[in-house]
Amino acid sequence: MITLYAITDHPTPPVPRLGEMRVVPSGDLAAVCGPVIKGEVTAEALWQHEQLVEALMQDRDVLPVRYGTCLPDDAAAARTLQDNHAEFAASLDTVRGAVELAVRVFAALDRAHVPTPAAAPMTGAEYLRARARSAAEESDATVIVHSPLARAARACTVARVNRPGELLRAAYLVDRDQTAPFAAHVKEIQEGNPQLRITCTGPWPPYSFAGS
Amino acid sequence: MTTLAEQDIGLVDLIDRLLGGGVVIAGDITLAAADVDLVYVGLRALIASVATATEKGVLPGMGSAL
Amino acid sequence: MSDKYLHRPSGLDSLGDPLPSIDRVLPRRLNADPENLERGLAQLVLTIVELLRQLMERQAVRRMDDGSLSDEQVERLGQTFMALSERMAELREEFGLEEEDLNLNLGPLGNLL
Repeated sequence: MITLYAITDHPTPPVPRLGEMRVVPSGDLAAVCGPVIKGEVTAEALWQHEQLVEALMQDRDVLPVRYGTCLPDDAAAARTLQDNHAEFAASLDTVRGAVELAVRVFAALDRAHVPTPAAAPMTGAEYLRARARSAAEESDATVIVHSPLARAARACTVARVNRPGELLRAAYLVDRDQTAPFAAHVKEIQEGNPQLRITCTGPWPPYSFAGS
Repeated sequence: MTTLAEQDIGLVDLIDRLLGGGVVIAGDITLAAADVDLVYVGLRALIASVATATEKGVLPGMGSAL
Repeated sequence: MSDKYLHRPSGLDSLGDPLPSIDRVLPRRLNADPENLERGLAQLVLTIVELLRQLMERQAVRRMDDGSLSDEQVERLGQTFMALSERMAELREEFGLEEEDLNLNLGPLGNLL
């Protein structure tokens, strides 16, 4: 059993000497594989996996593979590349020279506490109005934060968030050298909008843009 | 040094990516019992069609209000 | 653990709701023990119910904003949705599911909720 870390071009620069990673080529694509790492799935395990993928990302374009993906052997990896060649090649082209930045928007602390019926009794009308306010806040966050950032990115995805207080969760595909300007843009938007709290993390390998 | 809350947020962003994103390869065997996954995939297809129908306002009673 | 922050607001220490620990954010399917089969099915069913609940709530809010609902209707709908929301919370707790668990990744369609 082998673990898949990422899909990249073939040929590709030598992979870092970490995690026993090696390259399994097939045509003009390659799968970067390693032994299955046994053990519990912990935060540390996830970060360690991530560090390997990011090390790959330093020197090449990659399509990161979902965590926990295993295949029987190298032959199976090569077959997978062959079977899905068109799709993988297209996805790789989409993310060439780009990284992923994650943005999340929360209501400001003094507005984050959405009263729940469990916490404080309220009338039906109050509940619906509170729901309407939440919906409006999410919609505002989208206009204020997402729209300008989407224009600055190559591509973007928005997640529908099911968490009280969290107004927006989005991912942006951004050219590698545009990370700092993008972060500056986020900072600018934050400074103009004290009613929101915005976090931006990255650069990440383009997980959200790797699928078909 | 990141605070605990910051580490947690980094963790949520990490998990969103590692477990919610990335290339999905059919036939990977880290999934739980195959039977459950069949149900999972079948219902997923059903929900996908509900979601699409709703977006298009086709679902009766919902219309373009959604 | 590397610092992935490009921007963070000041005073991030308290975000209101406590952030979940890793046990709560990992999807259940990574833990393949038998009890989780039942929880997996509950997860699917409750996700569908949650989808419908959100759709209906959203439509009610729109109608309320339109002004096409009487005060009594607003009150009655609000009460219904509150009760439904509480019942959902009870069911989630019964099966050890968090709000985040009631979501499905539909591939190209993104997440359901």
